[in-house]
Amino acid sequence: MSDPECIVFIVDDDSLVRDSVADLLVSAGVAAQTFGSATDFIRAERPDVSACLILDVELPDLSGLDLQTDLTKSGIEIPIIFLTGHGDIPKSVRAMKAGAVEFLTKPFRKEELIDAVRQALARDGEIRKQRSENLKLRDRLGTLTPRERQVLALVVTGLLNKQIAGELGTTELTIKVHRGRVMRKMKAASLADLVRMAGKLNLSPPPSYTKVE
Amino acid sequence: MAVQTQTSKEGSEGLDLRDLIETIPALVLCVLPDGLVEFTNCAWQEYTGCSVQQANGTGWQTAIHPSDVAAFIDEWNATLASGIHFAAEARLRRADGEYRWFLIRKALAIAPARTGSALRTLIACEDINDRKQAQAQLQQTEDSHRLVVETASDAIVSMDDNGAIVFANPAAQRVFGYEPSELIGKPLTVLMPEFMRKRHEAGFTRYLTTAQRHINWQGTEFTALRKNGEEFPAELSFGELTRDGHKVFTGFIRDIGARKQAEDRWKEAQRALQMTQAELAHVTRVVTMNELTASIAHEVNQPLAAIIASGDSCTAWLASVPPNLDKARAAANRVIQAAKQASEIVRRVRAVFKKTPSDAASVDINELIQETISFVDYEAKRKNISLRANLGVGLPTIGGDRVQLQQVLLNLMMNGIECMADCDREPKRILIHSSLPNSGELLVSVADTGPGIDAENANRLFAPFFTTKPQGIGMGLPICRSIIEAHSGRIWAENNGSGGAAFHFMLPIKAPSE
Repeated sequence: MSDPECIVFIVDDDSLVRDSVADLLVSAGVAAQTFGSATDFIRAERPDVSACLILDVELPDLSGLDLQTDLTKSGIEIPIIFLTGHGDIPKSVRAMKAGAVEFLTKPFRKEELIDAVRQALARDGEIRKQRSENLKLRDRLGTLTPRERQVLALVVTGLLNKQIAGELGTTELTIKVHRGRVMRKMKAASLADLVRMAGKLNLSPPPSYTKVE
Repeated sequence: MAVQTQTSKEGSEGLDLRDLIETIPALVLCVLPDGLVEFTNCAWQEYTGCSVQQANGTGWQTAIHPSDVAAFIDEWNATLASGIHFAAEARLRRADGEYRWFLIRKALAIAPARTGSALRTLIACEDINDRKQAQAQLQQTEDSHRLVVETASDAIVSMDDNGAIVFANPAAQRVFGYEPSELIGKPLTVLMPEFMRKRHEAGFTRYLTTAQRHINWQGTEFTALRKNGEEFPAELSFGELTRDGHKVFTGFIRDIGARKQAEDRWKEAQRALQMTQAELAHVTRVVTMNELTASIAHEVNQPLAAIIASGDSCTAWLASVPPNLDKARAAANRVIQAAKQASEIVRRVRAVFKKTPSDAASVDINELIQETISFVDYEAKRKNISLRANLGVGLPTIGGDRVQLQQVLLNLMMNGIECMADCDREPKRILIHSSLPNSGELLVSVADTGPGIDAENANRLFAPFFTTKPQGIGMGLPICRSIIEAHSGRIWAENNGSGGAAFHFMLPIKAPSE
């Protein structure tokens, strides 16, 4: 948890609460940054490190749940831990459904909060890892020629070189060369590896090849 | 002047008499035994406008007022034979038709012997109109004064400067039980209990010697004594009059026993009513606060969260190597601050639950509005309602009961929240406004954006047991009204121009002691 490469954002309109929560995290070695309102948080420039958000459900301007919705809509994936002054079951259900990590009722125990933060940061780390891996794959995909892309799409559906050659109207040898280049450019260790990458890249084969025996 | 004074020639002896008669400040006729008017003075002719001939016989009597003439003639005839002096009052007609009162007297004049004439009758009419009017007026005044004194329900008793009663009116009997005649001559002290007598005598003597008043002459309460020995509370006012060098004091004494009893009963009833109202207000307060438990829990949990989190971090800073004392101190300070916040919330909530009939103090209305908002804020947010305050700057404080006034604000805000909870209109907003529309009054408004007030309900809003809420008991607004009216203010409701209802109340700015 002493990783300086992560930060916890705290949004609570009660200054005593947000300062206390921030200090508690800092004393546990986690960097924290506080905001008095959802608007302040949205407007702020946030460092691009592993992060999570501790959010008061009852905020004056934009409620915590509304902020959660807004963040999801604008594609900002950040794990959220909700804090509330009064446990409200419908609300906690809604928050958890929308992907909240935890829903804590004030006053909470230190361990509960630290656990939730650890979990949230881990989830964000995972998300960030996935995201960067995806970016790398997209870069590699970008280096493929249109012909190589066609070959890749057909290879991962499980077709043999001969069948691919038939589909593309060329020779088996040519396909073999293309296939070797695809494997090298995508840095795939095996066919299985390539299939996994294609899955992550959400590549779908051309419609005519969807029905493969 | 003496144009028509002579109608028949007499000797020079007669002239003397005539001259003499002209000087008399009265209307004079001189009548011969046969009834012929020998002459009249100028004054007669000028007053009546009649000639001597017209006065002949009983002609002069035509000047007498028709209402007076019959009685006059009776008397006249009665004395005619006897020859004694005659005097009667009657109105005589003036030339312009107006009547004035005259005292008409008759005297027999003896003529000088050598004229051989018979006795003449002199009739003198003296104008007594002004005197008579003054007398009548005096009589009238006296009559009305007597009427007042005799019919007064207060006892009226006069005493002389020896302290002896010189007059008592009929009411004195009703009040004191003594016949008025019984009281005359008795010392005034018989009308007061033993313990007052010395005091009265000392005060009375002091007044007679120093002329300084030590009690209020226009209404002093004291204990009076009835003939049967019963003491009773009385109110006394009195005045003095100096007659022939002696002072006379007249007092008006009112038995206020009945009034005092009625006052006591009224005060008792008021107290009971206040107690009942306080009970009812308390019950509704508790009901309202019950609806706000979530809100209150939220309020309290907020500082508790800060306390626990800061306590934990304080421990962590102390445990770190080396200990970070600055951080630990800051955390401890936050603990204290949050604990104070929590106890303040508890104090506010307890105040609402407190059962006090009335507690007048100086109230800062804006502070009270803010505090009330803190109670309902969470409840409003829960129902997606925004709560905003637009408070006047520099408003004076008002005298009143803080808890009761807060109840009014609480009721109005909760009403707004509840009426909007099931309403689809957006935005859902409650605006609380305070201002000073004039230098003597404070105005507070609570406006919502809900469905507003139905015209058919407008008159019943403040009536007890009227409610539009399924769970309502219909006591919220009547209690608001009774609280505001007890503060000499007024409360009313109306629909906003933009839709929604607005409740307003005005409170006079005055010292809390009033």
